[in-house]
Amino acid sequence: MTNVLLGYQPLFDLFLLHLGMAYSQWLVLRAGVFSLATVGLAAVGAYTGGILVVTLGFPAPVALLAAALAGGIVALGLSVPLARLRGVYQAIATVAFIQIVLSLNIYAAGLTGGPQGLNGIPKTVGTLTLLIAGILTVYLMYAIMSSRLGRAFDAIRQNEAVAASLGVSIVRHQTLAFVISGALAGTYGALEAFHSYALAPSQFAFPFLIAVLSYVVLGGRNTIIGPIIGTAILLILPEIARPLAEARMLVYGLLLILVINYLPRGIADTLIERARARRLSARLAKSDTAPTTAARS
Amino acid sequence: MLDISDLEVHYDGIHALRGVSLNVGTGEVVALIGPNGAGKSTLINAVSGLVPAASGAIRVGNDDLTRFKPWTVSAKGVLQVPEGRQVFSEMTVLENLQLGATALHGRPRDAGVEDVFELFPILEERSSQLAGSLSGGQQQMLAIGRALMGSPKLLLLDEPSLGLAPVVISQVFAALKKLKEQGMTILLIEQNATLALELSNRAYILDQGRIVLSGDSADLAADEGVVAHYLGVDAEE
Repeated sequence: MTNVLLGYQPLFDLFLLHLGMAYSQWLVLRAGVFSLATVGLAAVGAYTGGILVVTLGFPAPVALLAAALAGGIVALGLSVPLARLRGVYQAIATVAFIQIVLSLNIYAAGLTGGPQGLNGIPKTVGTLTLLIAGILTVYLMYAIMSSRLGRAFDAIRQNEAVAASLGVSIVRHQTLAFVISGALAGTYGALEAFHSYALAPSQFAFPFLIAVLSYVVLGGRNTIIGPIIGTAILLILPEIARPLAEARMLVYGLLLILVINYLPRGIADTLIERARARRLSARLAKSDTAPTTAARS
Repeated sequence: MLDISDLEVHYDGIHALRGVSLNVGTGEVVALIGPNGAGKSTLINAVSGLVPAASGAIRVGNDDLTRFKPWTVSAKGVLQVPEGRQVFSEMTVLENLQLGATALHGRPRDAGVEDVFELFPILEERSSQLAGSLSGGQQQMLAIGRALMGSPKLLLLDEPSLGLAPVVISQVFAALKKLKEQGMTILLIEQNATLALELSNRAYILDQGRIVLSGDSADLAADEGVVAHYLGVDAEE
């Protein structure tokens, strides 16, 4: 029994690492920023952490903190041009950012190891550390979203003009969401570095961007549980259907198309919404105060 | 309270407001009526900082709001109830109201959730329901309640009767009348001239971006010819 479970430990580790990245992506989307920069910010964190430990001999916890800081600071810088853009233009700009990080990584071979990557990172992060990080991350997301800050994020996403006219500063809130998302990506980038001995630039490229985005879109963008469900399904799926593992990206693509068409809000959000609608109609059927009729909404 | 002078606004390539001057005194309810496309919403959005003014001034106290960002306008206590309600449909009724308090920005609070529930008891019943699942009338009440949570010194109402059934309209206007009696300063935009003239102390008629007529609401309402000429015969009721 234990052996069977141990066999799945690497998968569980991977799940926890990717979950953190998924929350980084989830948070910006929830605040109405269509940024895809998470992967690039994770690369910043991973290389910051890796270089500090390998080249400069820093202890891992200090390097982890530095990685979170680096992710947050780069996100802060990036938020300046991003605040002037909306929607798909934000997406394009952040994809360009990922490309820049990727290129810098390869050009600065002296520092980053270039295309060969950064090797010999001591493994200091195991399942327990990742589990603690995961629990803290979920708690942090929950705390943010149930605070005034979270309500402001939700309001901006749903209707920017109305949110602004009700006193919500769009730039401040979106910058804050982006910086928290960047710090989170930086942290998980470094965790990945300290977990897997080596880093390669290609790790933080387009396929990973698609994966992280898929976790959030498939699971659900507006509930805390969404990223957990999305990440779990997409990581377990190739394990259950081994022959499909080769065609992982193909499966992701198909699944995304299906979900966007039939469950546009993602699995968790759609199910929660349906349960809510059922409860509501049950309550309305019970009470005799029928809703006031109105022409149109 | 609000003093607009020679306001010019270009919006979507249209010269939407052409030298509009208008004022609202403290504790007054002023109606701005006019046909579709006259520029009524543009005026409110210019006050709220959502649409930039080309020239002219929008004064509230010592501030000229033409240079303000939307959220700083709200911090001055100028709050709007937008056209078509625009409640946050994926948030609960209570969350919508709580968000409305953001506009306080440290100003003292005049009204809380209990006051909104007293004005609109139906919202208390539905407080944990998603705003998107409310009827149109309830959404209008929520939109008004959400603005009240920010303790407005000046409340801008954009077509509160739009798309509502007559019985619901009278509920909404009964609540507005209560606010008026409590001394709330209101600028009301309406296409339904009869309703607007009934509620307000004074009124302006806006047509093609210009104020074409203004005066006491009672006088304007008495002059059938004026209303018919500028607003079309009021057959909505």
